[in-house]
This record gives sequence, structure tokens and C-alpha cells, in this order.
Amino acid sequence: MVKEIERAGIPVVHICTVVPISQTVGANRIVPAIAIPHPLGDPSQPADKEKEIRRKLIDKALQALSTEISEQTVFE
Amino acid sequence: MKLELGKIPIHDVKFDSESRIEGNTLYLNQEELISHLMVDENIKSITIDVARPGDKTRIMPVKDVIEPRVKVSGKGQVFPGTLSKVETVGQGRTNVLKGMAVVTTGKIVGFQEGIIDMSGPGADYTPFSKLVNLVVVCEPVEGIDQHTHEKTVRIAGLRAAAYLGNLAKDIEAEEIETYETYTVKESMEKFPDLPRVAYVLMLQTQGLLHDTYVYGVDMKHSLPTIIYPTELMDGAIISGNCVSACDKNTTYHHLNNPVVEDLFKKHGKELNFVAVVITNENVYLDDKERSSDWTSKLVEFLDVDGVIISQEGFGNPDTDLIMNCKKIEAKGIKTVIITDEYAGRDGASQSLADADESANAVVTAGNANMVIELPPMDKVIGYQEVADVIAGGFAGSLKPDGSITAELQVIVGATNELGFNKLSAR
Repeated sequence: MVKEIERAGIPVVHICTVVPISQTVGANRIVPAIAIPHPLGDPSQPADKEKEIRRKLIDKALQALSTEISEQTVFE
Repeated sequence: MKLELGKIPIHDVKFDSESRIEGNTLYLNQEELISHLMVDENIKSITIDVARPGDKTRIMPVKDVIEPRVKVSGKGQVFPGTLSKVETVGQGRTNVLKGMAVVTTGKIVGFQEGIIDMSGPGADYTPFSKLVNLVVVCEPVEGIDQHTHEKTVRIAGLRAAAYLGNLAKDIEAEEIETYETYTVKESMEKFPDLPRVAYVLMLQTQGLLHDTYVYGVDMKHSLPTIIYPTELMDGAIISGNCVSACDKNTTYHHLNNPVVEDLFKKHGKELNFVAVVITNENVYLDDKERSSDWTSKLVEFLDVDGVIISQEGFGNPDTDLIMNCKKIEAKGIKTVIITDEYAGRDGASQSLADADESANAVVTAGNANMVIELPPMDKVIGYQEVADVIAGGFAGSLKPDGSITAELQVIVGATNELGFNKLSAR
């Protein structure tokens, strides 16, 4: 999906727990996620803390989307 | 460490007033077994059934398959740390009831699969259709949480297997097979010219119904470590793992690991089987990196020439597999990986989620996406209605006549990545 959307000319950020798979598949902008069963949050944290984690991830993804890159890049 | 396995062939299981083994028949007082299992206060009811090869019987959803065994001599008891006390096993003598198994069934979550058909086309895909299966249907008390439910059924299966195994404690086995692993120094002195080979056994450790236990330790909380292969034969590794049943290792698989069997056959002749390294498949990327760093360090430390790596499961564990492979290869040690494929129903898609050019020696156990038709059976033990929601099933999988159309992944052990199956591809 990442590759097909980019082929249509729209940049994509792949938020993904298993970064090596994203690299193998060929995503260009990769943001590491939390864990496979809960990529965008952490159920062990209280609700307000979890919201903060989500907000940071989305901010990072948006930042990645607006960053010029020349090669496959992981935004740690 | 040396272990003798005494093999006692069992051809049939019959209900009787006294539990015992006579000749090749196991007689079972089922009330006694039921009350033995009911000691767990989380169990509401137990029913026992027997499914024989050729019966028009379907067992589903299968939780675990366990081979009954008993320690005759040597330290510890079978299933240490889970059923019996923690004590190192893998030496002395163990009697094994060959040709039968305990199969547990219990509905724990919605997405739970695992079919054993005792006859018909489905029977060809699972090794367990060839065994006389004592099926334990376990119903928990109301209001129990899923993790406790899982543990309850897991332990009930082990307890039943140990009960049956115990019937063979004083029987003199006709066939005895001996397995011996030497210490590092001993084996180098004995086999100075043979290539040194280790086996990296990857264990699924991803949460409820995806977990594996080693001496009672949930393996997701452990770093990779070394274990004698004979410890596996006494039940040091227990399965809590049954979702996407085709490529999950039941406890039966761990007891009868074919990679271990085959390496022992060549041990001291073509190669020196040095050790088994066990590792996990966790859900955090840091864990995957850490564990694969560790397996590569351990095999380097053992100074081996080659490593066989077996995967359990599919999808993100493909990354654990590839990390293990490439980090070990990077140390100049040759690897062969054993996996299975999710290559789409037509077999034309990419087989694994991850890849690397160092993974250049691969054994496959078949394509789990292949669609199969399972005809209706006269009898179903368990809960067939789950067929529509299991992995590999889909809406309409279960037809009104009781037949099932689904992907091969619903069959227990069909694409087992230890090679305990008959499928492959070239």
C-alpha cells in the first residue's frame, strides 16, 4: 500500500513496529511504532500518558512527511 | 548428558474399571482421571473421549497435543517447572507411550483454531490423525479471565499426560534408544575432525495463546540460552501456543523435535551436535534485536561451523528468523533456516515478510494459504462453530452440512517448521 500510494505521487510515512520489514518492503519514510499488538499506544500506561505517546508519534510522522529525503530514512 | 527413551507402543485406549497398560492397550478408568484433573478449582467440568485413526471424527479447536511420558530413573519428573518441581531433566531413563497422545480442546478466545480430522483429506495434513487420541474437553468455571483459562487447559493436558505416563513407570520397554550430548571439551576430544553444529530453536512468545514455557519460565521474559537436547525429551519446553495451528509447535512436537532426532542420528558420525540454543519471538523490535544478537553470540562462543534455525509461526517472526540468520552468517557460520510460506492462495506472492541475501539455504514446510475442503464428519469433539472466525477461516467457512472450506493453516501441524509434517516445496 505504501508503495502504490507513493507511485501515485503522494508521499507516505510508514509507522511500523518491525522496521526491518518496512525496509525490506521498500517504504521511504519509516517511523518506528511501539509494539506489534499495540503499534500506536501502550495499554500499560495511564490514559493521559498514552495520549501523550500517541501525540508524539503522530507529530513525528507529520514531521517526517514534511522532511526532504534522498534515501530510505528511519525517523528514530 | 545421557537419556534413554524406552518406547512402549500403544495401539488402543479402552475405558475400564482400572487404569493400566496390558500389552499394547491402555485401559483407563475415566472417572479416576477426571477426578485427578478436577483438583484445579478453575475447572467446571471435564469430559473424556477417544478418537482413533480412521474414525469420522473432527477435533477442534485443539489447544495442545501431548505425548504421555514418565521418568523411570534420573533426576526430576516430566514437565518440570510447569507440572512438577523445577529440577533439571534430560538424563536417566524415560518411558514413552508411543502411538497415542492427549489432545486438549477448550474454547478460550474467539479467534482460536486447530483442527485434527481423524479421516478424510484433512487427516493427511496432520501427523496426529495417525495416533490414538485421548481427548480432554475442559470447561472452566464462569467468570474466569482468558489467561487463567489458557493456563487451566494447558496444565490439565499436562496432568492427564503425566497420569497416563505414570501407568508405564514399571513397564520394561522392548525398544530403548539412547541419546547423549557431551560437554564442549569432551566432544572436541572425541570428534576432533567433525563439523560442529548447533540448533537454534525459535520459540513463539507473543502473548495469550502465543506463548512457550521453559521450566515454567515464560520465554518472552528470558534471554536466549543453551539447553541440552535431551531436556526437551522430558518436557522442559511446554506449548501455550495454538493460534494459526499449522505452524505452531505443540508440546508433542517439542518432545519429538525432528531436527534434534536427525542431528542425533548424525552425531559422532557426520557431525558433532554441540547444543540447542533456544530463543524467543517477542513483539518489541528491541527484543528482536537483543535476542538475535544473543543467539549469534552464543553460537560464536560455542565455536560452531554450522547452525540450523527453525522458526515458529509467521509474519513478524520472519524478522526474528532473518535477524538470527544474518547475524550468525555475519560471524562466518553457515546457516540453514526452516520456515513455511504464506504465499497467497495461488502461491504466487512473496512467501516471507522479511528477507536477506544471507538466507541462501532455506527449507520450507509448505504454503499455509492453500485452500482445502474438509468434508463433514460424523462426530465433532469440541466446538465446530468457531470455524468462521479462526485464522485461515472466513465467513461461510463452515457449511450447514458440517463441511469446512478454509486455508491449510487451520490444520494442526500441517506446515510445522520443525519439519514434523509431509509438505514441502522445491
